[in-house]
Amino acid sequence: MNPRLFLLLCCLVLTGPAWPVDTPSLPPGVMAVEGTPAPTLRLNSLNGEPYDLAGSRGHWVFVHFWASWCGPCKREMPAIQRMINRLHTRRIEFVMVNTAETEDEVFTFLATVAPDVTPLMDTQGLTTERWQPRGLPATFLVDPQGRIRYQALGGREWDTPPYLDFLRHLASDTAPQSSQSSR
Amino acid sequence: MLYRLPLLLAGLLWAVPALTCAATPPTPSVEDEGLYMFVRLNSPDQMAAFYEARGFPLNAIERLRRTCFVMAHVENRGAKIIWLELKNWHFLTRQGEVRRLDRDYWDGVWNKIGLPQASRSTFGWTQLPEERDLQPGEPVGGNVILPATEEPFTLQADFLTGKDRRGGMIRARFENLRCAKDQVAP
Repeated sequence: MNPRLFLLLCCLVLTGPAWPVDTPSLPPGVMAVEGTPAPTLRLNSLNGEPYDLAGSRGHWVFVHFWASWCGPCKREMPAIQRMINRLHTRRIEFVMVNTAETEDEVFTFLATVAPDVTPLMDTQGLTTERWQPRGLPATFLVDPQGRIRYQALGGREWDTPPYLDFLRHLASDTAPQSSQSSR
Repeated sequence: MLYRLPLLLAGLLWAVPALTCAATPPTPSVEDEGLYMFVRLNSPDQMAAFYEARGFPLNAIERLRRTCFVMAHVENRGAKIIWLELKNWHFLTRQGEVRRLDRDYWDGVWNKIGLPQASRSTFGWTQLPEERDLQPGEPVGGNVILPATEEPFTLQADFLTGKDRRGGMIRARFENLRCAKDQVAP
């Protein structure tokens, strides 16, 4: 065997592939971010149940900020509902945060576009400010260690294959959880 | 033109759902080097209807009625970052430049009248951000507010491009814009 080829083969075997193994390609409009710790997210749901993101370590969390007056939010919400139904996983938690609206506004809106979603109520809008989304709607993906790893730019077609595949990949990178929630 | 229609409708829906019953004036747009942008001027009645529906108190609505709402949609359809920086937007009349009423101005107004925090938050999200590094494919929409004026004006919006802002500049110009007035009943 050619000694140079032999050396090259040895290097490849020793170092392994130079590309990340099993890394999903990012779907359109989803941006990888540095992995800063997720800000505090402690709110009550529309049903009055308390929620604290700090209690969600160990699995990925899909954190979504929206308001009923925003057109892209209105179009995106049914896609999110379908995405949750299609993924049918307990390994990603879906946390939907309404920004600064009343219970009546939220209830009326969701009844028509996504009746199965129970959102968290950021009634003063201060939690949304703390997360500093680039606009509404906004989605953050928080890893099992509580760090923000991805951010979606504007409304996305979450129920289409690129997004479902991406989220399935994330779901496979976590331990099974005992409960699923879409709040 | 047809391919723009869904975006145009999306922008209108984003900005003010309450507008759907109002007459639709022409919506000037620009598409150049990956930048797509359109503007629409909304009347005091239209804006008042939007904020009233969100529970804004009357003294806040009165303040907003005295102004000129320019709703803008900006979208990066290119491959490099486009910098939205409102400091590089100029509203020009024959008499000179009109200074927009920025977030600091409104913070002062809202402090003075004690606007509830929830309304302040909603108001903030309906404004265009002061600065945004628009990624490829990223849209942004919102209002820029000017003092009401009878004069026609030109919006000259400059956008730097590239991660370090050294990728060249795109200039969008919208001429002969006029603040929208309320429709008078016959």
